[in-house]
Amino acid sequence: MSLFFNFLANPSRYRKFAENVYPYTLLIMFIMLIVGLWYGLYNSPPDYQQGEMVRIMYVHVPAAWMSLMIYFCMTILSLFSLILKHPLADLLTKCSAPIGASFTMIALVTGSIWGKPTWGTWWVWDARLTSVFILFLIYLGHIALVNVFEDEVKGAKAAAILTLLGAFNLPIIKFSVDWWNTLHQPASIMKIGGPSIHIDMMVPLIFMALAFLFYYISFLLINSQAEIYKKRLKKTYINNIEIHKNQILNNSRKYNE
Amino acid sequence: MKNFYILVKRDLKLAINGSTDTVAAILFYILAIVVFPLSIGTDANILTKISGGAIWIAALFSSLLSLDRVLRSDFEDGSLEQMVLSGMSMELIILAKCFSHWITNGLPIVIISPILSIIIGLDSSYLWILLVSLLIGTPSLTLIGITPAALSCAIGKGGVLTVMIMLPLMLPVLIFGAGAIEAELLGMGGLGHMYALGAILPISLLISPFIASKAIRLGWE
Repeated sequence: MSLFFNFLANPSRYRKFAENVYPYTLLIMFIMLIVGLWYGLYNSPPDYQQGEMVRIMYVHVPAAWMSLMIYFCMTILSLFSLILKHPLADLLTKCSAPIGASFTMIALVTGSIWGKPTWGTWWVWDARLTSVFILFLIYLGHIALVNVFEDEVKGAKAAAILTLLGAFNLPIIKFSVDWWNTLHQPASIMKIGGPSIHIDMMVPLIFMALAFLFYYISFLLINSQAEIYKKRLKKTYINNIEIHKNQILNNSRKYNE
Repeated sequence: MKNFYILVKRDLKLAINGSTDTVAAILFYILAIVVFPLSIGTDANILTKISGGAIWIAALFSSLLSLDRVLRSDFEDGSLEQMVLSGMSMELIILAKCFSHWITNGLPIVIISPILSIIIGLDSSYLWILLVSLLIGTPSLTLIGITPAALSCAIGKGGVLTVMIMLPLMLPVLIFGAGAIEAELLGMGGLGHMYALGAILPISLLISPFIASKAIRLGWE
C-alpha cells in the first residue's frame, strides 16, 4: 500500500496512471448509470403514497451520499497532506471540492423539487436540510480559500486546515435525522437492523450510487490531470519569458555595441 | 502557566489603554440589537418571539468582527514570532489570545445582555437561559473563530473571505444557543440545546489551539 502511495507521489507518473485508468472508470460509470436509470425510471414500482415522485430519490439520495463521502475523502486527504505531506493529497483535495459542492447542490435542489409536492414547501429549516446547507457553504469557503493564495502549496495547506475544522459537520449531518425529530425522514438504508426499503427500490438506488461514485472517481482523475497540465503550462510560460528576456537583452546589447 | 497570565495581562492592558476596537465591537453588539425593532417593527409579541435569536445574532457578529483583530496586529508587527522564538508554545499563546478575547468581548456581551433583553422584550423569567447559553456559547464562538482568523493572517488580508469561512463554522453554536431560548419560550425546555452547547465548548477547546497554531505557522512558511 505504501509502495502504491510512493508510486503516485511523482506528478508525471500519477498523470500517466490517471490517463490510463480514467477511461475504464468512465465506462463503468456509464454502464452503472444506464442500468440504474433503466431500473429507476422503468423497472421499479411507484411508491404507494408518493406515486411516481419517488423516482427523484434515485438521484437525490446518491447525490447526498456523495456529498458526505467526498467531504470525508477530503478530510482523510487533508490529514495525509498535513501529516505525511503527500503532494498528491493537496491536488486531489483541490479537485474534489468543486465536485463535492456540485453534488451537494444537486442534493439540495432535487430535495426541494421533491419537497414541493410531497411536503408542500420548497424549503424548511429542518435539521438535515440546514446541516447540508452548511456543508455547501463550507465547500464554497474551501474553494474560495484555495484560490485566494498566490502560493499554491500554501493555499492547499490552508484549505486542508479548513477541511479538518469543517469535518465536525459530517456526524451532525449523518445523525441529524435521528437526533432531531423533524420533517426529513429518518435513515432507511444505513441503520441498525438492516434496510427498511423494498428490494425493487434498493437495486436502482445502489446502481445509481455506484454510478455517482465512479463519476466522482473519473472526474477526479480528469480534473487532477488538468491541474497538473496547468502547473506545467505555467512553468513553460515562465521558461519562455526567461528565454525571451534573454533574447531581448542580447539584442539590445548587440545594438549598443 | 506563568506565561499565560503575563500574555493575558498584556492583552487586557492593550485592550483597555490602546485600541478602540474592543469598545467598538461592544457598541456594534448594542447597535445590532437596536436594528431589530427598527426593521421588524415594535410589536411586542413578535419582538418577544425573536428576542433570543436577535441577541444571539448580534453576539455572533460582534465576536466575528472583533476576532479578525485578535491575532493580526501581533502577527504583523512580529511580536507573535518573537514570543514563539522565546520558547513559548504556540498553542498556549493561542489559548491566551482566546481567553483575553473572551474577557474583552464575550464577557461584556454576557454582562450587558440582561439590559438589552429588557429593551427587546424578553420576559425576565427566561433571563437565566439567555445568560447561561451566552456564557457557554461565546467562548465556543471565540475558539471556533480563532482558526479562520489565523488563516486570514496567513492570507495577509482579512475582510469578506474570513467572514465567509468563519460564519458557517460558527452556525451550530448560533443554532443551539438561539434554539435553547426559543425552546424555553415555547415551553419545551431548552436544556437539550444547552447540552449540545456544552459539548461544543470542550471539543473546540481541545481541537482549535492545535489547528490554529498550524494555521499561524503556515503564515511564516
